[in-house]
Amino acid sequence: MKLSTTETGFRTVHLNFPCIYHLLAMESSLEQHLDDTMKNPAVVGVLCTDQQGHNLGCRGSLSDEQGGVVSVLAQQAAALTKDPTDTPTVCLESESGNILVRSHGTITVAVHKIAS
Amino acid sequence: MGCCYSGEDNNSGEVKSSETDPLIPPPNPTSKPPNGTDWITTNVPSARTDEQALLNSIITKTAQNIIDVSAADSVVMEQHEYMDKARQYSTKLAVLSSNLHQKKALTLPSLTSQPHQVLASDLVPYSDVQQVSKIAAYAYSAISQIKVDAKEELVVQFAIP
Repeated sequence: MKLSTTETGFRTVHLNFPCIYHLLAMESSLEQHLDDTMKNPAVVGVLCTDQQGHNLGCRGSLSDEQGGVVSVLAQQAAALTKDPTDTPTVCLESESGNILVRSHGTITVAVHKIAS
Repeated sequence: MGCCYSGEDNNSGEVKSSETDPLIPPPNPTSKPPNGTDWITTNVPSARTDEQALLNSIITKTAQNIIDVSAADSVVMEQHEYMDKARQYSTKLAVLSSNLHQKKALTLPSLTSQPHQVLASDLVPYSDVQQVSKIAAYAYSAISQIKVDAKEELVVQFAIP
């Protein structure tokens, strides 16, 4: 934002938002990773969500509205095992493809793969 | 940003307008100002001008929006008043909740209508499991790189002479 109305008595004011730009730049590595994942011909959708089900990024057949379901599926599956280091992979199978849900640390990833 | 049961296709505008309204409207807001003094002097000459009426409406509106904490101690409610209010609120809530439509949970993409085919098929390839594990690890690594790196002041001073 730029105001340059010195003739009306205002000082010139420059506003910019470097913090936001910088954050977006760092986020691009995740975006790039999601794009790269989608380049795999068998993958038709990918979704990344945090522990609360907030969408961190998605592509293809999986949309941000499914973040909650995906994160809860992974949490419920992890609750089945007593070993906290044993991270399960949930697979929703169908004749046309599978949705694989896997957690890593604080995030959960869902990948929709069609049968190749 | 989506999360559990998020959806913006409903009539949120309509709901929002009623959210700010009190559930049970105050019986007579102007008759009892919070600090116990009269807002309006009543012995004004009969012909009240439009300006006065406007001012009074502003005062009334302001009085409704003010929560006078100093007067909170003086407002002592009898037990039956509490019970009465509780009953009023629960009745009101029961009426309102019956009107709420239970939002349908969002589902993942439809998978199959013939489960026996799926159950009879081969196991999920281990390569797929490894692949999704790798994707998750990369995504975690990418997310861990996100950090706020403040370089300049976000709040700037408006130095107007």
